[in-house]
Amino acid sequence: MAALGLAGVLALGACDSGAIGNSGPGSNGQSFVSGSPGTTVYGGNSGPVAPRVTGTLLSGSKFTLAQEHGHVVVLNFWGSWCTPCRAEAPFLSQLAQHFTPTGVRFLGVDIRDSPATAEAFQRDFHIGYPSLNDPGDEIALAFRDTVPPAGIPTTLVIGRDGRIAARVIGEVSYPGLRGLISRALAQPA
Amino acid sequence: MTEVRVPTATGRPEDAADGQPRPPGFPAAEPRRGGPGRQALYWARWAWRQLTSMRTALILLFLLALGSVPGSVLPQQGINPQAVQQYYAAHPALAPWLARFSLFNVFAAPWFAAIYLLLFLSLAGCVIPRTFRQFGAARQQPPRAPRNLSRLPLSVTMASPLAADAALAKASALLAGKRFRVRTGDGWISAEKGYLREAGNLLFHLALLALLAAVGLGGLFGYKADRLLVAGQSFGNTVTALDQFRPGRLVSASDLQPFSIALEKFSARYVATGPDTGEPAAFNAYLSYQAQPGAATQHYDLQVNHPLNVDNVKVYLIGHGYAPVFRVTDGTGHLVFNGPVPFIPVSLNGLTSEGVVKVPDARPRQLGFAGVFLPTTVDVGGKLQSAFPAPYRPAVSLVSYAGDLRMNSGPSQSVYQLDTGGMHKLAIAPRPLAPGQSMKLPNGMGTLTFAGYRQWISLAITYDPGQLPALFAAIAALAGLLVSFLVRRRRVFVRAAAGADGGSSVEFGGLARTESSETFGAEFEGLSKDLSAALASTGAAAPSADIPASSDLPSSPDERE
Repeated sequence: MAALGLAGVLALGACDSGAIGNSGPGSNGQSFVSGSPGTTVYGGNSGPVAPRVTGTLLSGSKFTLAQEHGHVVVLNFWGSWCTPCRAEAPFLSQLAQHFTPTGVRFLGVDIRDSPATAEAFQRDFHIGYPSLNDPGDEIALAFRDTVPPAGIPTTLVIGRDGRIAARVIGEVSYPGLRGLISRALAQPA
Repeated sequence: MTEVRVPTATGRPEDAADGQPRPPGFPAAEPRRGGPGRQALYWARWAWRQLTSMRTALILLFLLALGSVPGSVLPQQGINPQAVQQYYAAHPALAPWLARFSLFNVFAAPWFAAIYLLLFLSLAGCVIPRTFRQFGAARQQPPRAPRNLSRLPLSVTMASPLAADAALAKASALLAGKRFRVRTGDGWISAEKGYLREAGNLLFHLALLALLAAVGLGGLFGYKADRLLVAGQSFGNTVTALDQFRPGRLVSASDLQPFSIALEKFSARYVATGPDTGEPAAFNAYLSYQAQPGAATQHYDLQVNHPLNVDNVKVYLIGHGYAPVFRVTDGTGHLVFNGPVPFIPVSLNGLTSEGVVKVPDARPRQLGFAGVFLPTTVDVGGKLQSAFPAPYRPAVSLVSYAGDLRMNSGPSQSVYQLDTGGMHKLAIAPRPLAPGQSMKLPNGMGTLTFAGYRQWISLAITYDPGQLPALFAAIAALAGLLVSFLVRRRRVFVRAAAGADGGSSVEFGGLARTESSETFGAEFEGLSKDLSAALASTGAAAPSADIPASSDLPSSPDERE
């Protein structure tokens, strides 16, 4: 039945290493915006107030960010298909385990994924915190007047006062994000 | 006695005693000796003149074209960052040097900006002074009448029973009534018409400046973006939701208009018979959209070249294709992938599409698939092809891989490419799957199901705040140019001298400032007829400005009797 195989597919099969596939529409090499990496820290209470976000978790239950007022919140925009998101996932998982007992809340916002695929990611990386499902980008749009996520991944640290304390565009490092969380915890509510 | 002449608000140059006003700030005689300051000024003025010359503008334009060549030859960071990484890997010695000259980011390079800014400065420096000159020309008064009008191309002499002063007053009223700009002097009148030509010229130059500014405005505040959208899905106009984002220099992530668009249904019709079989006949993307979060949902039938305009942003339909839907269960029995995967058309007449499926969370091994989607599958001599772009017999055929997708660290990957360097091909021959069919992977790696397919569209999102101003500026420039071509400036002069028995001898001459034509000859003839009629009447009633002088003719013979 090998004769039934497509010429194109056989040609692909002959390719043992290197990238296969084509560059996608609009000759875009990557097909998502990774943003220019960098960290923005807002001193004191100069950060903008985080919007009142509500949404549906991957598990299907409702979630309101305002419920977390008084807690430091780490908000991570991610996708299971995004390499830097996968690279930082172990750090986020460990930091969540470390900081959750101290009252820090972790929340993911899943972008351009199907719920089943996203749940496989959470299982794979032992992510213990919930993620909002954002198929229409409503959560990302809600942040546009404050500190919009300018690429995937983007991580926001929100202080106890509900103000955004820091934004990291691109992959977070374990010590980097730990420092930002500790700093937010040290701020009075 | 010292008389201080203060420029009047009207600034009429003919008020100057010598009739030859001197521009303020320019001494009558320039001193020869100058300090280093004057020297520097001289060179600055020289440099400015060089910069604003036509030749420099053309050279800069040529340099701009030349400078964009590496942008199309070398991979660019802003457009294809992966290709840049690959170039670094392939040319480790050369690439850092190219990067030093910003050749991987040409359009943001300092030298490119320098060319662009110099060109802008050169054009502005050329056009602005010309604008002032045109403004002056449009306000200019007619010159003094020449001494001898009979030397003009067109001239006529007539006798009038009126005294010289009265004759001139009548002539002046007649010409003013015909919308000539009239200047009077001792024993003469000079009149000119066709200043609209100068106004047109002025409009052209101002519009040219506005055009330059509009283009700059678009470059600073505009942006372009692409997004692929699968039927049934929606997206918001925010950076994380875009496939590609090219912002203007002053655009940040919070400047994007917060609309959201959902693709409810996409329908494509193709020519079914005849020589054009398989050619597209019509594409309709039925969108629902919100101008901002919480706004009313609106609907739009998006078609090629009929963009959706939302919040001054234009959204164009630029492509379409199929997204087969896959469900993958891994070796541990978990559902690890479920969703549509856009495949990219590689042949347009049959819409054969290629794509990859990456399942990075499958266990025990990550899984990857590469293959084709065929809308209308036919078997041609043992090879499968797609005979028609519409999905009459859809099928996918995939090669399966297991191993490391290299997605858990390292550089970002394209979602349309599979890095098979860390994977091995699974021993399962690719065979076409119809919707609903599954294939069981060997070695307990799991199962893949081809659940069905959806269609996708690709959208180009453009925001150019300079576009409309640029259009108006271009229209105004064209209108100004037309006026300045079509309107001719022409001058007429009248001289009156005392003649016999209290009357006067009147000379009337005319001159077209631009190429003289028959039309001016006819106009001059008409004018001289009107003038002689007006001057023949001794009546106190001067020709009114509103009534054409020729309408006085019937009454004139009676008075002459």
